[in-house]
Amino acid sequence: MKSYLLLLLVSLGVSVLAQEDVVVTKAASTKSSLDLSGFTGSGPAYAVFRQTLEADLRRSGWFTFNRPATYVVGGSCSGESSLAVQCQVMDAVKSSPVLNQSYAGTAANAKRLAHKVSDDIIMAVKGFRGICSGRIVMVSNRTGKKELYVCDADGGNLRQLTSDKSISLSPQWTPSGTHIVYTSYRRGYPDAYLVDLASGARTCLANYPGMNMAGGVSPNGREVLLVLSRDGNPEVYIKPLAGGGLTRLTKTPRAGEASPAWSPDGSKIVYVSDLAGPGSPQLYIMDRSGNSRRLTSRGRENVAPDWGPNGWITYSSKRGGLYGVYMINPTTQEERAVSPSDTHYEEPAWASDGRHIVCTRREGRGSKIYLLDTMGDPPVCLTPNSGDWFSPAWCSQ
Amino acid sequence: MTTRWFISTILVCSMAIGMTGCKSWFSKKSSKSQGDLSDSGAIGALSPESVLPDRGQFADGKNVMAGQFETVRFAFDSAQVDDTERAKVEAVAEYAKANASTLVSLEGHCDERGSAEYNVSLGERRALAVRAYLMNLGIDGARIQTKSFGSESPKDPGHDENAWSINRRVEFVLIKQ
Repeated sequence: MKSYLLLLLVSLGVSVLAQEDVVVTKAASTKSSLDLSGFTGSGPAYAVFRQTLEADLRRSGWFTFNRPATYVVGGSCSGESSLAVQCQVMDAVKSSPVLNQSYAGTAANAKRLAHKVSDDIIMAVKGFRGICSGRIVMVSNRTGKKELYVCDADGGNLRQLTSDKSISLSPQWTPSGTHIVYTSYRRGYPDAYLVDLASGARTCLANYPGMNMAGGVSPNGREVLLVLSRDGNPEVYIKPLAGGGLTRLTKTPRAGEASPAWSPDGSKIVYVSDLAGPGSPQLYIMDRSGNSRRLTSRGRENVAPDWGPNGWITYSSKRGGLYGVYMINPTTQEERAVSPSDTHYEEPAWASDGRHIVCTRREGRGSKIYLLDTMGDPPVCLTPNSGDWFSPAWCSQ
Repeated sequence: MTTRWFISTILVCSMAIGMTGCKSWFSKKSSKSQGDLSDSGAIGALSPESVLPDRGQFADGKNVMAGQFETVRFAFDSAQVDDTERAKVEAVAEYAKANASTLVSLEGHCDERGSAEYNVSLGERRALAVRAYLMNLGIDGARIQTKSFGSESPKDPGHDENAWSINRRVEFVLIKQ
């Protein structure tokens, strides 16, 4: 009898867990209806603001725009060069306000202001932070050389960050969003640099003999992961950003490592190694002492990992000749395909909501940056038609 | 009718023998080359002699022997110097022995497929494999540097098997001090 009860409890527990998973993968049940028609204003700055607000809320994946809606947005955006925004959101079912906020800004930053208001609406209605105020760093060859570019979460406010006239690779944000680490061949060799976003000032992080690839910056912003070959083979190292000695984490004389990234709590590192066999790079997880275990087993190539705030690792996997974006839970080993299988999707990076992923989508000979939704909304292109775009990384602010 | 059947049987049999023969020849070759290099422990070993030399002495040099030495090619996803490629490395070793002041820069490359970051590591391992073989042949490791371009600098701009096989390579840049 007791064992029957136990069995019943266990199976109940399992079905509850399974149900939660289903809820997470089904988009429809998570969306709230929103009515924006009551938000008013006039003039060119209002048009930009309004268009950005609506596009942000649609892209967020949390809303439908059917009327009558559960949540009704009111308020206005007024002004020519300086903008005053008032935004209220009513829960029409409960007849109670969930947001009532004033904002001030300029016409020049109308888009950034709209991103801020969008995130506040998402927080008010859904109870968590949206991604509208996020920023993306990525690589493009649109000038003929691979330079770094920064843009908003919707692809707007695009600007060129570097003019190295060389090859730029693997950009990563510092958690504060003030700096970017990346790899550049500006001095002829692959070296790792730190760039101050505001001033453009640059510090060389690693220019040892051989290769110096920049990896992830630790969640506390103090350390950077590097892949260096100075000791005779590509290995993973930690270096303090403030300066100081290297700590080598891997010792694989017969294998190469790549793409090291931190877990959200900074205690573990996911990375790529072809230790299991030449030509079959796989994901491994290690602690700061270098104790490692293999994570992935399916797929000939599993590369370019990024460890999300939700605990899942996203990566690109080669299955049947096609690269696709996948996600894996490192505790349960559960794996899910995220991208469509119409073409190659590679180099995924989590957006800060743990729902969306930015990645590179190869289109024929070209490549663009897309926003993927792990809950099923269709992929959205974020980059312009001119040039090829690669290696996106996400910053929450 | 019988003759035709007889001829086609012979053809099929000889094709089968030919294919088996090829296969065993290839696998024998590749296992031999693997054995040779790993016996020395030189490929990527993290030993004192494997540590890469400072860049300074290579900085102001120029390629004094451009185009004279043949590019070493690699199999897909492999960092192994194949038997067919060894003579190319041996030719450079011979020149380096006869010209003691010459430095060697090895530039490793991959084809365009796969992760850009992993390809930098793979290109570096290709250059390091050639460096290990040069050191096996008696060239001081302090005279040999590596530089990986991953998949960023293809020699052939094409997007097919032929272009990819040309792009998986290590190029020799010889520098006169």
